[in-house]
Amino acid sequence: MKNKKIFFFSVFKYVVPAEYEQWFEELATTGWHPAKIGQFSSIAMRFEKSEPRKYRYVVDMQATPKKNYKQTYEDFGWEYVGKMASAYVWRKEYTNERPESFSDNSSLKARNHRFIVAISVSFTIFVLSTLAFLAVAIFSDLSSSERLQFGIASALFLVFAVLLGLAMIKIKKNIDK
Amino acid sequence: MNYDAIKKRFIPMSETMLYILLSLKEEKHGYGVMLHVKELTCGRIVLGAGTIYQSLGKLEADGLICPTREIERKKLYLITKIGEQILIEESKRIKEICLNLEAVL
Repeated sequence: MKNKKIFFFSVFKYVVPAEYEQWFEELATTGWHPAKIGQFSSIAMRFEKSEPRKYRYVVDMQATPKKNYKQTYEDFGWEYVGKMASAYVWRKEYTNERPESFSDNSSLKARNHRFIVAISVSFTIFVLSTLAFLAVAIFSDLSSSERLQFGIASALFLVFAVLLGLAMIKIKKNIDK
Repeated sequence: MNYDAIKKRFIPMSETMLYILLSLKEEKHGYGVMLHVKELTCGRIVLGAGTIYQSLGKLEADGLICPTREIERKKLYLITKIGEQILIEESKRIKEICLNLEAVL
């Protein structure tokens, strides 16, 4: 039986942090655990099969964490799984009550809001790129085939911008989760 | 930030913030705050790591608490003068609520 699996673009499938956590947890109950989470895990994440475990996973966005960030989580018994860009992944094994890292509504909302802010940065870059390529395609004095290339690039960037925009709306709708 | 701006920002205060601030009348680290608040509320409020980290950061940034020292890589905090003033102000507000609610119970 295969004991290794790679999941592609998992982050983009489960954009709502709470849903992403559940995805990890369901895999853990069937014995699948991430081998390593790093910079490119949002594109491809390797999982390995071992014992099924009841884990509580937590994802947290911290662009500029302070020195005591990791220490605080570790003091509370959380295990550091890894981080992708500025998104930290933590987990904790439990038996009865599912542990929470964000124990009140306002800090949970703040966590989700940090994800929206992080996505908005990429969103802005994609929107500006779309406009820049479009401007070149329309106003430059390039040949028509070159213009077409810029037009295609513009369309591609627009697709990404729309996807990121939709992701932000989805998180906003689930801000309390 | 001046005192009035801080007052406007923190009062009324969330239950989480209030208990963290109260807890820091004595020097503690984040995990110690969680244990103390759990005990004070008979297990009703169990603060999470993310909530503690976020709240301590906010209270420190606005000068209601200050870091004192580090023990085994754990950062310890203590309430400041401004923090105590805010805590008193908030206590008065809650006391007034209690008095006005007596008729209900």
